[in-house]
Amino acid sequence: MGRIALHDIRKSFGAVDVLKGIDLTIEEGELAVFVGPSGCGKSTLLRMIAGLDRPTSGRIEINGTDVTARGAADRGLAMVFQSYALYPHMTVRANMAFGLENTRMSRAEIDSRISEAATLLEIGPLLARRPGQLSGGQRQRVAIGRAIVRRPTAFLLDEPLSNLDAELRVSMRAELSALHDRLGATMIHVTHDQVEAMTMADRIVVMRAGRVEQVDTPLNLYNRPANLFVAGFIGAPGMNLWPAEAAQGRVRIAGGPEVALALPDGPLTLGLRPQHLVLQGDGPLSLRVELVEALGAESVVHGALSGGTRVLAVLPGQPGLKRGDSIALGFDPGLVHAFGAAGQRL
Amino acid sequence: MAGLKTMAGAVVTAPLGWLARLLDPPLRLWQRVAGQNGMAAFFLAPTMAIFSIFVLLPLVLNIAYSMTSGPALFLTERSFVGGAQYARLLSCENHFDFSTCVEDQFWTALRNTALFTVLQVAALIVAATVTALILDRDLRARSFWRAAFFFPVLLSPVVVGLIWRWILDRDGVLNAGLDAVGLTPVNWLLERDWAFLSVIGVTIWAHLGFFALILLAGLQAIPRDLYEAAEMDGTPRARVFWRITLPLLMPNMLVVIVLALIRAVQVFDEAFVLTGGGPGTATLFLTQYIYEVGFASLLKNPGLAAAASILMGGVLIVLTLVQLGLARRNERRSKLK
Amino acid sequence: MTFLLKRRGGKGWHWTDIVTFLWLGAGLMVMFGPAVWLVLSSFKSPAGLAEFPPTLLPYQAQTAVVEGHDNPLPLFVVTDAAGSRTLAEVRRVGTVAQMVDPANPAEIVRVNIADREPVRSIGFAWENYLGPFERFDFLRFTMNSVFVTVTATLITLLSSSMAAFALSKYEFRGRSAVVVLILATLMIPLSVILVPLYSIVSAVGLMNTLWGVILPTVATPTGVFLLRQYMLTIPDELLEAARMDHASEWQIYWRIVLPLSAPALAVLAIFSVVWRWNDFLWPLIVLSRPEVYTLQVGLNAYAGELNVQWNYLLAMTVITMIPVVLVFVFLQRFITAGIAGTGLK
Repeated sequence: MGRIALHDIRKSFGAVDVLKGIDLTIEEGELAVFVGPSGCGKSTLLRMIAGLDRPTSGRIEINGTDVTARGAADRGLAMVFQSYALYPHMTVRANMAFGLENTRMSRAEIDSRISEAATLLEIGPLLARRPGQLSGGQRQRVAIGRAIVRRPTAFLLDEPLSNLDAELRVSMRAELSALHDRLGATMIHVTHDQVEAMTMADRIVVMRAGRVEQVDTPLNLYNRPANLFVAGFIGAPGMNLWPAEAAQGRVRIAGGPEVALALPDGPLTLGLRPQHLVLQGDGPLSLRVELVEALGAESVVHGALSGGTRVLAVLPGQPGLKRGDSIALGFDPGLVHAFGAAGQRL
Repeated sequence: MAGLKTMAGAVVTAPLGWLARLLDPPLRLWQRVAGQNGMAAFFLAPTMAIFSIFVLLPLVLNIAYSMTSGPALFLTERSFVGGAQYARLLSCENHFDFSTCVEDQFWTALRNTALFTVLQVAALIVAATVTALILDRDLRARSFWRAAFFFPVLLSPVVVGLIWRWILDRDGVLNAGLDAVGLTPVNWLLERDWAFLSVIGVTIWAHLGFFALILLAGLQAIPRDLYEAAEMDGTPRARVFWRITLPLLMPNMLVVIVLALIRAVQVFDEAFVLTGGGPGTATLFLTQYIYEVGFASLLKNPGLAAAASILMGGVLIVLTLVQLGLARRNERRSKLK
Repeated sequence: MTFLLKRRGGKGWHWTDIVTFLWLGAGLMVMFGPAVWLVLSSFKSPAGLAEFPPTLLPYQAQTAVVEGHDNPLPLFVVTDAAGSRTLAEVRRVGTVAQMVDPANPAEIVRVNIADREPVRSIGFAWENYLGPFERFDFLRFTMNSVFVTVTATLITLLSSSMAAFALSKYEFRGRSAVVVLILATLMIPLSVILVPLYSIVSAVGLMNTLWGVILPTVATPTGVFLLRQYMLTIPDELLEAARMDHASEWQIYWRIVLPLSAPALAVLAIFSVVWRWNDFLWPLIVLSRPEVYTLQVGLNAYAGELNVQWNYLLAMTVITMIPVVLVFVFLQRFITAGIAGTGLK
């Protein structure tokens, strides 16, 4: 229950290709997160799955059945909209009952489902109020509650946390994850915030310009990004990416030193996360410190190599560095990423 | 082309600019005397002068007029009679038989106006709502359709009246069409009931687009994702209309209904040109009654006309206050969201 | 018909699609049809206009001069038991036409209208349009209407923008009172103050003048509020910067606020032009001498005569309609936007 498969989904609006061939399978009970920069097509893809828009070509299957031709109402899915889309003139209870009333469900059944959801989301005392009288966080719970009572095959959430302020976002993230565990239902979550994706997802679908760049668990995306884009997108602060040239086991970093690394000859890009650089007296990277952001538990050091190449390092604690210092950094060669001329992982 | 426009613009604004520059020195003087804020009085002066002389003053005078009698035009030459004109207007032996009234034409006009208002506004609002709902759909060339329905609104009432007088003539094209399909032609403008219905139909034709546009604005203010949420919920179309669209449109629609009522009570221009109040007094409405009694008939009675217009004004003021109240309530409600 | 509508659900017809289709189709015919019929009818000769049932296009009947009749008589082809022949019609009474053979004018033949066909070709009676200018004061009416419309619009733009400026950019005691007062004038339609307004205009000596028509209509609350709404969006910092530059308030109004309000002024100008061109009741009351009639009053006067000359009247109606049609074709975007914005004020 709740397995969604997409086969070669394409969507064009006139001359503009928004989705350029998406193949994807969301497993039963999975919390999948679609993440990517704005304009990458993630919301469009969600709407295709929901049935609110039709793909120009391709197939969508839910639990093995082809639903491409079916309308949104007949797919058994529930959606939580970015703006929550609560009916402003109805009470919270009426909002949640509305969809159920369209089926011939008994009043008793409807009421029991509503109280179940209300207890789960702690919105019981709000049932008699109108959306206009609720805070942003409360409205979001009502929107989720409206989806829960329908007992859908899968939940679709379109940037549900974007409209919340930062504090609320953190707590709601945890709550949504807990909800997913409770319900065990398939959830597809769209966001532009990669931290959200990393913390919540079972698997992340990284998208860019209408294509899927990589689908994997958060840690796999972090440890083995498949290409330059994913490498730079996942992880904050972003990975250091240095153009370099490899020749016979030695790699010269542009504007910097030569290091010993076994990589195929030719031009490439070296990637190294700021957190993987350590202070090492005899380390290969000597740089001049330009800026130190002291955060207490760690320090973000901005610097430049001898040739001007920029380096970002996140060092633990408070190493007492200041602007103008010359330091040497080292790294574990096993943590280095290398990407070929076309951006793919080597 | 752009160069021509700027040149033309310059030609038009040059003398105005010259005039404005001329006015600057004396106005600076005024400003020195009155202060920066005091200049507001200067800017308000023309509008307030016009309003005071041509709207507020007449309103006050009208009350005075309604309590005078005599044929003279100027108030000073008239004699005070208190509420006699009102008494004359409203007195009837039997209020259900207009022939027993002193001013039977007033009562006829009153009844005609009331009946017209109820029927015309009901039909107009239903038609305008249907039109707005259709225009709200995802149509190609939407602005063309909007414009199409709006076209008659721009026509002058005289033109409207004459167009339809020509079409509804006993030998006009409508009757020709009826004849061609085998139905009996109707003398639209010379049979009492048909003339009344014709006035209703023509005024609806002339104003439908205006109200449809206002309702359309109200429909377009409803967030689209509410409809998408309803679609995900599998809501049938009728239910979407009754439970979502209509309730959310209702505040806007109430204001529109009151606006339509206010206009309907004052019906004159198109009706006057179309039927002139006839046949007989079948389509005589209040405004025409006031016009005839005050100006057009040989027995001009300004005092009586004033009294009738005060009575009509009373109804209108109530309606306008209702409308303003509704508009204010809508504004407040939408700020809460 | 998909080029006209996108249908709900993509494929298949829902009943709302059928209703939409029918309503739009009917709407198109009903909204434009009467005006189109007016224009077509205005090109018909009096004979063409008298025909029943009327033809779609204007035809010029072929006529013949028949002895004993002053005017040329229209020719018809009559088909009866004796075959076809061409006769001239003297008059028609109901469904029976009295006709004569041009060669034998003394004998009147009664022919049922169903048995005859007019002899004619498509022709436009342009003289319908020239006649009003030659025989009636139509040019004068037009000039009067133009004068009233242009002058009233200019004054309205000036006074409304000044008032809107005062109400949007100044704080002063009594500002709310002024707003209420202006709102109050919204509640007082013309029909309620006809008699005293007439006496005031008369007392000032403006009876039967175009200025008597213009002045009472010049101040519109709708215009003031429309402009005020727009001026509220002009940042106050602009005015403050100008004041620091020693600009007078008048200069601020004239050189900064007014130009920046151009879009709203344009909308108000269009409204005002349409309203003033179409005004009827007040000019009807104020103007009783034909030299000062506006087009609307003149049209009504000719329509009220005992012997209405429909061919001229229809042409005059078309001419009266033209400016508004031009506004419609070129400028209706502004109007519909303006109404959506202010509609309820």
